[in-house]
Formats: sequence, C-alpha cells, structure tokens
Amino acid sequence: MGKLIKAEFRKILTTKLWWGLLIVALLVAGGWAGLLSSAFDGIAEEIQRSDLTQRAGIDLADISFSVVFLARAINIATIFPMLFGGLAIASELGRKTITTSFLTAPNRTMLLGAKAITYVIWGAIYGVAITLAATLGIVIGTGGDHLVGVTTWLSTAAAGLLSCVLWTLLGLGVGALIGSPVGTVIVLLVYGLAIGPLSDLVLTGFAGGNANLAGALPNGAANGLTGSTAADTLAAEIEANAGGLSVLPGDLVERFQDTARLAAGGLGSYGLLASAAIFFGWAMLFFALGVVRTRARDIT
Amino acid sequence: MHDGSGRIAVQQLSKNFGTVQAVSDLSFTVEPGSVTGFLGPNGAGKTTTLRMILGLVRPSAGTATINGLPHDKLGEPARVVGSVLENEGFHPKRTARNHLKVYAAAIGVPDRRVDEVLELVGLTDAANRRAGGFSLGMRQRLALATALLGDPQALVLDEPANGLDPEGIAWLRTFLRDFARNGRTVLVSSHLLAEVEQTIDQVVIISHGQTRYYGQLEDLRKAQRQRVIVLPSDQEALTTALRAEQLTEIEQDDDGRLTVLDTTARHVGDIALRAGVAIYGLDERHADLENLFFQLTNGQYETEPQQQYQQGGQR
Repeated sequence: MGKLIKAEFRKILTTKLWWGLLIVALLVAGGWAGLLSSAFDGIAEEIQRSDLTQRAGIDLADISFSVVFLARAINIATIFPMLFGGLAIASELGRKTITTSFLTAPNRTMLLGAKAITYVIWGAIYGVAITLAATLGIVIGTGGDHLVGVTTWLSTAAAGLLSCVLWTLLGLGVGALIGSPVGTVIVLLVYGLAIGPLSDLVLTGFAGGNANLAGALPNGAANGLTGSTAADTLAAEIEANAGGLSVLPGDLVERFQDTARLAAGGLGSYGLLASAAIFFGWAMLFFALGVVRTRARDIT
Repeated sequence: MHDGSGRIAVQQLSKNFGTVQAVSDLSFTVEPGSVTGFLGPNGAGKTTTLRMILGLVRPSAGTATINGLPHDKLGEPARVVGSVLENEGFHPKRTARNHLKVYAAAIGVPDRRVDEVLELVGLTDAANRRAGGFSLGMRQRLALATALLGDPQALVLDEPANGLDPEGIAWLRTFLRDFARNGRTVLVSSHLLAEVEQTIDQVVIISHGQTRYYGQLEDLRKAQRQRVIVLPSDQEALTTALRAEQLTEIEQDDDGRLTVLDTTARHVGDIALRAGVAIYGLDERHADLENLFFQLTNGQYETEPQQQYQQGGQR
C-alpha cells in the first residue's frame, strides 16, 4: 500500500493541477473572507439588535463573529478540493493512464484504497491552506479589529479541514462513478455552485428557516459542518460573556444559533455533529459507489 | 503464491460486450522460452483476449491465468508480466522519466531502474521531454520501458510494430527473441503474419473470436503443400509422364501451364527430360504462410451473415 501511495503522490506532483487549483482556492477563500468581513457592519448591527445580545448585554467587540465569514469563505473554497478529488480517477480514465495503474497494482481495490488515503492527505493540505487564506482575508478585511478567538478559530479550522477532506473523497467517488473528467467537473460544479445552494435556499424557504431536508443533502450537510461550528462557538462565547443575565433563555440561544448558521452559509442545516455524520455518510456512499463501479469497469 | 512457471494459460475464455460476442471459448497456452504469435484479422478478439489475460477486461466465462493465477491474485503483477498495449495512455504533460518514476514507485523498484529501462529502449536522450510530444514510435518505446520496469517473466504485446520504423521493428524482433531465449515468455499479437513470422516459434490464430490454429509455426509451414508451376512444350505429354510417376494432383490452365502439387522443380524437370518434353518455364512455390493465414481467417465478414441467414431459415 505504501508503494501505491508513493506512486499516487508522484502522479500528483509531476503535473500542475494540484497547485493550479490550490492557487485559485486560496484566492477565492482569502478574497471572499476579506470582502465579507469588510462589509461586516450591516450584519454586525443586525446581530447587535438581536434579542439575545440585547438581553445579555453583550458588547459585540467581545464576540468573534468574524468566524461566520471564516466559515462561509471555507465553504465556498471547498469546491476546489472537491474538483481535485473528482479528477483523481476520472482523469486517469480519460487519459487511459488507468491501464498502467491497474497493471502495476496488486488489484483495483488496493489502488483505490491508496488513492483514497493520498487524497485524504491532499484534502487536508487544501483544508489547511484554505483556512489560512480565509483567516488572512479576515485579518485584512476587518483591519485586525475583529479577529476570531483562538478556540473558536481552532474548532472552525478543524471543521473546515474535515469538510475539505470529505469533499475530496466525495469528489473522488463521483469521478470514479462518472468516469469522464469533463463530465465529472461539470456535474460537480453544477451541483456545488447551482443545484446545491439553490435547493438549500428553496427548501429552507419552505421550511421557514428551520433545519430541513436541505441539511440532509451533501451540500447542506457540508455547509452545516462549518456553519454549525461557527454558530455553536459564537453562542458559547455569547453565553460566556453574558453580563445582563446569569442564564440565557434556551430558545433565544437556539434562535441565535439558527441566525448565525444561516449567516455562515449553513442554510437549513442540522447541528454540528449531525451535519458531520450526514456529510461523512454522503462522502462514504459516493466513494463506495465509485469503488464498485471501478472494480466492474472493463478497460478496453 | 503464483507458481513462477511463466506460463500463460487461456481456458474456454469468452467475452460478450452486450450482444456482441468478442471472444468465444478460446483456449491456448503460451510456454516460457518461446515467442508466441497471436494472430487474427482486426476485430478477431485479440485485444480483448490480451486484456482479459491482464485483468483489464472481466471474462464473461472461462479463465485466463499467468503463473497459474489470474492477474489480480499475482501480488506483484508487474514483476510477473509486463505489457505494451494499444491505446495505452501517458499524461501528455508528464516527462518520460517522471512517467516511469510514478510506476517504479508503484511496483517498488528503485529509481535507478528508470534510467536502466530508458537506456534499454533508447529513450535516454528524450527522458526529460513530455510524453505528449512523442511520436508513435517513441510512445511504443516508452510503453515497452514501462513494461520492463518490474523485470517481468512474461511480456504481452498488442500490435507492437504499429508506429515503429523498420529499424525499430528489427530492434524489437531481436529484443523479443533474446527475452524468450532467457527462458521468459513472450506473447505478441499482430494482424499481419509477415510482420512477426521471423520472430515467433509458436502461433495461435484466431478469427471470429475462436481458435483456428494453435501450434508450432514450423508445423503450420509443413502443413502447407509445396507446388511447382511448369510451362511445357506439350501439356498432355508431361501430364501423362507425371501421372506415371505417381504425381496425380495436377492442374492444367489455358495458357499451357501445369501446377503440380507435392513435388520439387528438380523432380518435375527430370521427368520432363525423360519424357522428351521441353520446358520453357519452371517455378517452385514455397509454403506461403500468409496465404494459409488468409485461408484460416478468411471470410470473417463474408460468411457470418450467411450463417445467420441459414440459422434463421432453419427456425
């Protein structure tokens, strides 16, 4: 297995796709975070007006709600590790290099296992890079005034990392299932940029902003993973900083979490653990389907 | 573990692609120490068979084994069998050396093996060039270099002469003969017998996805009857004289020529001298393998519809 993983790393590093996608991912993550957080005044006021902050008597400056933009920027940028994973097998099928890859591996399942491990590592590399770029974007965007607290940042970064890894794996499965690089890129982009966000919006609209089916779909669950982390940590910070009330009413905290999750791009999503579990399930499902399809494929 | 014999065995192998029967009930073995030609017209099922041997295409029925095991049970397959296939891909942006380094890592051979195989196939000077800019002949050489990375016991080559210049073909011929002489196995496909005739010892001829001939090339050559074409001054007189010498299979043509089977020019000349018939022309035709090959594989596309029609009529 180690030999195959080494070969996969060499495959990636001897072509330019990895850094081509990475550079764009960094620009998107950094740019998006910077733009959002510099335009943050409007949203900040809204949060300041919310019942929870009013009654808790919290000064916004104490709260690291830039985390919402961090989460959102990471969400958007996950498209790139998803595409990177999508091309892992699809481009080998497209360029027919899969023939030699199959001939030099003990069997197809081991090759796919090695690819999965390699791309999980690369998903994590993308995740770290994207999180750092998004953080930099926020530092620049807010002029350093509203930085994210260390704990909050760490948990959001961890969620972003997991999200990137799972998107990569999901993309890999979809690519193996479809088999053509162009088809894979189109399907992943159309879902990631159009169908996913739109269906989240529509379904959440019908559900009156509550958690719903959208949160159970891959895009919604993935957004929920980072969005809920941001929302939960924000709520926790607010509770900790609450000066006005010793115990905040549960429904108020919940409503605030929903608002924050929405702001972080997690439309209609469930809580952190549920979102993580659902998205993990989707990633595994597509990866497994990809394995089954690849094992059955005749390479002619 | 595989048995290390270097034997390739195909048993009752069949493959359908949907309703198309690409290969049906094919059986043959390829022994180490020999070069076996795998011959048949285009579309006869050669490529599909080779790809089933290599585990790239799943058989519908039957088995294909190397060293007694199917490809996906070999453990380290690239150390057992290497292959040069048509339509094999290289990433166009990857250099020849990087391409080989990828698969050297997968096989588990050190990187210096990459330079060895580049040297072996004569691509050292092109090592740092991208495969996308390679000619067909260079691609064939790179494919062969990839096949040799694991120093395999057996080589499977699908139409390797395609794209090679005459010099390259001659080089490949010598290479394959040497490879087999070292006790290794070579299976090489072609749609032209003449292309591989000087390379191979054994031959498997298929057509319609079925075996037409399987055995030593020498036996096939012997099976072909020799003929002598003679232009005598008197057709009838010579025919009578030949018949008297037990040469009974004689064909006469309108130009006054005779075709005599199973004899030699010298023998016919002696008979004519004794019979007092002058000879204006005498020609000995040696076993024409290409012709025989054509007969064995003939009518792949002509007879099939007719058979289908007959079957339909019987229903």
